[in-house]
Amino acid sequence: MFVLKNAWRSVTRNKGRNVLIVIIVAIIAAAATIGLAIRGAAETARADGLSSTSVTATIGVDREAMMSAARQAAQSSDDSDSSDSSDQPDFKTMRDALDQNALTLADYEKYAKAAGVEVSTYYTQTTSVNGTDAFQPVESTTSNEASGTSGSSDSSASSDGQSAQGGQGGGPGGMGGQGGGMMGMDSGDFSLVGFSSDSAVAAAANGSFTMSDGEVFGYDESSEGDVIISKALADFNGLAVGDKITVADLSGDDTTYELTIVGIYKNSASSNTGMNGPMGGTSSDPDNAIYTSVATLEKLGLASGSDSTDDDSTASSDDSATTQTSASRTQLDFTYVLNGKDDYETFAKNVEKAGLEDGYTVSSADVEQYESSLVPLDNLAKFALTLLVIVLAVGAVVLIVINLFNVRERKYEVGVLTAIGIRKSKVAAQFVIELLIVTMIGIALGVAGGAAASVPVSNQLLAQQVSSQQSEATSRQAQFGRDADMPGAPGGGSADSSDASGSGAPAAPGGAQPSGGRGGFSQAVDYVSEIDATVDLKVVGQLALIGLALTLVSALAGIVAIIRYEPLQILADRS
Amino acid sequence: MTTETTTKTTTETTTTAAPAATAGTAQASDTTQGDRPVLAMDHVSYAYTKGGKQVVKDLSHDFHAGRVIAIVGPSGAGKTTVLSLLSGLTSPTAGRVLYNGNDLAKADRYRFRSHDIGVIFQSFNLLPSLTVEENITLSMEASGKPFGKPKHELVVDLLAKVRLPAEYANERILHLSGGEQQRVAIARALGYDPDIVLADEPTGNLDMATQDDIMAIFRSLAHEEGKCVIIVTHSPAVADQSDEVFQLKPLRR
Repeated sequence: MFVLKNAWRSVTRNKGRNVLIVIIVAIIAAAATIGLAIRGAAETARADGLSSTSVTATIGVDREAMMSAARQAAQSSDDSDSSDSSDQPDFKTMRDALDQNALTLADYEKYAKAAGVEVSTYYTQTTSVNGTDAFQPVESTTSNEASGTSGSSDSSASSDGQSAQGGQGGGPGGMGGQGGGMMGMDSGDFSLVGFSSDSAVAAAANGSFTMSDGEVFGYDESSEGDVIISKALADFNGLAVGDKITVADLSGDDTTYELTIVGIYKNSASSNTGMNGPMGGTSSDPDNAIYTSVATLEKLGLASGSDSTDDDSTASSDDSATTQTSASRTQLDFTYVLNGKDDYETFAKNVEKAGLEDGYTVSSADVEQYESSLVPLDNLAKFALTLLVIVLAVGAVVLIVINLFNVRERKYEVGVLTAIGIRKSKVAAQFVIELLIVTMIGIALGVAGGAAASVPVSNQLLAQQVSSQQSEATSRQAQFGRDADMPGAPGGGSADSSDASGSGAPAAPGGAQPSGGRGGFSQAVDYVSEIDATVDLKVVGQLALIGLALTLVSALAGIVAIIRYEPLQILADRS
Repeated sequence: MTTETTTKTTTETTTTAAPAATAGTAQASDTTQGDRPVLAMDHVSYAYTKGGKQVVKDLSHDFHAGRVIAIVGPSGAGKTTVLSLLSGLTSPTAGRVLYNGNDLAKADRYRFRSHDIGVIFQSFNLLPSLTVEENITLSMEASGKPFGKPKHELVVDLLAKVRLPAEYANERILHLSGGEQQRVAIARALGYDPDIVLADEPTGNLDMATQDDIMAIFRSLAHEEGKCVIIVTHSPAVADQSDEVFQLKPLRR
């Protein structure tokens, strides 16, 4: 009590010196507050960003690895029946290799079971069908001849003429999520997309849509044959809910499927964006997408794994559409929905353990995009840490120096106090408490100032980071004419380059965009540009601890001086 | 080598027949009061460094309550050392300093200093940044003793005792003259009612009138309040006004 009272009196007495210390400590505390707040916000953003929301993951093929394996196999046993491709790559072998390695629905479900964490799944199966006389796709040209780029000779309305190159892009198990897969399935007039559940519909590759009439199909048997079509398609063909449509199988062998329109939807995004480069067929136009349930596809025998569409089962007899079988192949997009990033990592690990081959990778477009969106934030957090360390080091030194001079100046006081019988421990305690009072006032002021400044300052700093990151990306793009596929390039690096090779359009790293169904567009990463660097109790507590540590460290000088003081010295201290 | 204890009779007191100085060992020299001394030096020696020059050698003396004892001696005789030994600022390298029969070296000397002895330093050692009242209450609080009255009243009483007006309570130390500071230092030493008052050259820089005034205060403390007042001085005038003189001789080497 005596010590406290004395300390308080001493604090109020030495105003000048203490105001100086308060100012210094306040500056240190303000800088430290901002630093801590930024770090805290960055950590929170990193941890919470994906932990609270669900994360989708896909298992994709490392296509390069597979193709190189296939190439070697083909060369070693050069008995390929490629009739026309003596100097061309053996596409068929390649495709076969890729197809063999495609995971089946059963495989996907096996991995879902092996996840070890709560996981829900959905999938879509996408195939292509041709129009009939009564049901035509939305298109501007009368036929899609113009889009044929290969030497395939047919000129019929059926758009089998999709080049081999078009097919090449469309291997099964599209790398990088739904987006990559969609693009390859461009043959045919329509894309017939089967959804396994409402979540799958919600994650439709063409983006979200609203129903303008009717309602979305169900998934049970009673709903089999039900489809929904786009408004544009309905208007184009003069169809309404309840009408029946007939589509033809891609094989051209007069197989037709009859479907019932139960709803008409309107894509939220503009339908004009769905082009897939010059060789995109009409089926790649989102307006020409027919949505149905997986059950319907299965009933029609179009689901993956059913014989009618599986590779090589149909004899490519006389038709010129040599690529028909692969073109009509059904694309399976299987998506795992996980509760947060941690679950995703566990899932990835467990799937590996469950026997996923080396040729496959588990990837999450959500996570990847999120990671790259955090680049400026990470830089900012690093900067904040540097700031914090420098400020604290300088602050500690300054405080120690001030305190040294302070104690030296007050040696006489120490002598008097010990001479009249006040214990050194009490004197030391008094000095420490004095310093503590002063530093705590400084910290309080600094925290208040820092709290007021941290949000604008941190957002300002973050904005700088974002713009520098963007200019880096821009300059890189200027150099390459596309997004550079470099490690660390924002949003880049994750996508296979296969979809960039055919079209001259800037490649879209499909992996960077979960809904990047309209590939072919350069997609800037949406950087995290706002952080909530508000000062919370945790930061205040940390600062109080830091302040306490700093005070004690700097008070150490004073304590040592006091302990070493011999009361006898007072007789020599005759001022 | 020898210390001599000379007891002079003062005009006021008729006490103390002085036994002669005995060679070799110093002799306690109180016959008037049968009780044991408040403070006693028992064959005390002191060297600043271990095995170094002894500034005090084999010194013995008893200090009794109710008397003013002057410690005199030429420069270099170890007056300051004796002061620091008696005030508990340091401990002897040999011998004992006894307070009420207890060895100070083994006792809590911080408690001794804050409770039992009031030291008036030559340079007063008041805290200049504090007011007069704060200086006085500081030592009162340091003692931890309970006080029946509000401290301010005690301070005013003390100031009256050292013949300072009550208005001085809120003055800064540096605004006071040397004699006034001396009185404040005495007031501080008396604040917690110690048994022993130890003053180092209390009249060193003061004019004669003030010197007499200060000595009158000390005498009244001893004779009216029964305190043991020990004054270290080189002033014969002060020694003359004391009840007893403890003569230190310079050490011959």
